[in-house]
Amino acid sequence: MKRKRAIGILRAIGLGIFLVVAVFPLLWIFLTSIKPATEVYTFPVKYFPSKATFEAYRYLFSFARFNMYFKNSFVVATVSAGLSTFFSLMAGYVLTRERFKLRTFLILVLFFVQMLPTYLIMIPQFTMFSRLKLTNTLTSVIIIYSGFGSAFGTIMARAFLKNLPRTIEEAALIDGCNRLQVLFRVVIPLLLPGVGSIFSFCFVNSWNEVFTAVLFLHTDSKMTVPVALYSFVSKAGIQWNVMAAGIVVALLPTIVVFSLAQKYIVEGLTQGAIKA
Amino acid sequence: MKRSKFWILMLLPTFALVFFVNLYPLARGGVISFQRLTVFNLNNPRFVGWDNYRAILNDPAFPRLLWNTLVWIACSVAFQFLFGLILALLLAKPFFGRGLYMGLVFYPWALSGFAIGLLWSWLLNGQFGIVNDVLIRLGLIRTPIGFLSDERFAMFSVILVNVWYGIPFFAIMLLAAIQSIPGELYEAAQIDGAGFFRKLFSVTLPYIRPTIYSTVLLRIIWVMNFPDIIYGMTRGGPAGATNILSVQMINIVYYRNNFGLASALGMIITAILTIFAVIYLTLLERGEFEL
Repeated sequence: MKRKRAIGILRAIGLGIFLVVAVFPLLWIFLTSIKPATEVYTFPVKYFPSKATFEAYRYLFSFARFNMYFKNSFVVATVSAGLSTFFSLMAGYVLTRERFKLRTFLILVLFFVQMLPTYLIMIPQFTMFSRLKLTNTLTSVIIIYSGFGSAFGTIMARAFLKNLPRTIEEAALIDGCNRLQVLFRVVIPLLLPGVGSIFSFCFVNSWNEVFTAVLFLHTDSKMTVPVALYSFVSKAGIQWNVMAAGIVVALLPTIVVFSLAQKYIVEGLTQGAIKA
Repeated sequence: MKRSKFWILMLLPTFALVFFVNLYPLARGGVISFQRLTVFNLNNPRFVGWDNYRAILNDPAFPRLLWNTLVWIACSVAFQFLFGLILALLLAKPFFGRGLYMGLVFYPWALSGFAIGLLWSWLLNGQFGIVNDVLIRLGLIRTPIGFLSDERFAMFSVILVNVWYGIPFFAIMLLAAIQSIPGELYEAAQIDGAGFFRKLFSVTLPYIRPTIYSTVLLRIIWVMNFPDIIYGMTRGGPAGATNILSVQMINIVYYRNNFGLASALGMIITAILTIFAVIYLTLLERGEFEL
């Protein structure tokens, strides 16, 4: 009995350490972001601001035009995640329900594409899009993110569809629905958690992508949040409380998405989505 | 509509995108790697044969780049796995508030690697960093350490952050596998008088071995191709101390604008990636992992 109790205490200590290590960095960057500029650069460190202030955020959203970068990021991530989800449900459905010669090959292609990092093919993408006169447009990065998103979305969609019993669809077919109706009226409503999971996954990846965005988007009005942060680093004279506020703004949407969809994302991850 | 036509229409958007955005550019990258191509001559590249490859491989810094990449992968994946496993074991039995707890420790998974790099560069700052502050207060060091500016500490620092970032992935995957172990196995082990470690090494680890193999292999591929954190923290510096293959490629693109040279390095990375990918996909197809 004593032994069991000792194990329980050890376990609680272990869990406590993991919690502090995971949460503290984010807490600290938030604390830094609400400090007045004069209290950021002190050593020994001043842990709490003498008076919490949102001056760094005000600076970001007025002078540094983060409202625009935020809007751009939001448009890019939402549109590309929407397209990816739509396309991958269609492709995933066919690749799960139909058997044909190229099926295994197509699935392996998707797995391979999933392993390609964005930075590795950004140069040829850049030359292609510059021929189309599409560099420095949000459209270009939306198309690129949708390509990556559709590939891993399809793999996720397959993982969810495999667990869905066919009998329901067969019943609907007998009732006179065509296949498209079966997909949109029967399968997708049953698969809503999966759909949410695919969308969140694609949203997070697009929101976070930095290297292609830095190469493609160079005018101020086209920048996304990661590009703005990137340009902050090279700009002299950016105060760390402002930088911290920028980091918080960059992280917040994905934290919100993650907390809303955590259960489904985790499910998607363990059921065969490999990009993690 | 004919059934086969319907399938093709359903597959078309995804595979058209995958072809134009991923596969064709990959092949184009191969062509560009044999060209002299910069931002300034985008429309009239010149064929230069193996020049770009020679320049990459003959660079005196290249062996160090390879070594750094190896250290980066090996240390990151090993410690991500170790701590991920410990966390998964701690979470294996239900307790009050476990759902909320998991949300709080798993959230780094969803964050931007680049922003995380920036965030930690503030925590590890050599003048005003909280980590230095705490270490001094605890009496472990006397003067602040230049975690990112000192060549001796820079690689350690970026790996530390990558480990922090990667724990949730392993914990999520391993926890799911541990929870699928039938309870009878533990009961049987209990009856045989097995203690904690005995159960861990004779029941848990053997049972989740396929998951371990697949996640570690995937993680190796992924960490090799993950310049985000290093880019947020050091961009490969100081003096190349944290420069790995992927970071170097991006530096060539951004600072030297030399697309041909960068593409040659990209092809070398792709070759290494393909070897790992083939191993992974072969095992996947043989049904060695469940995915």
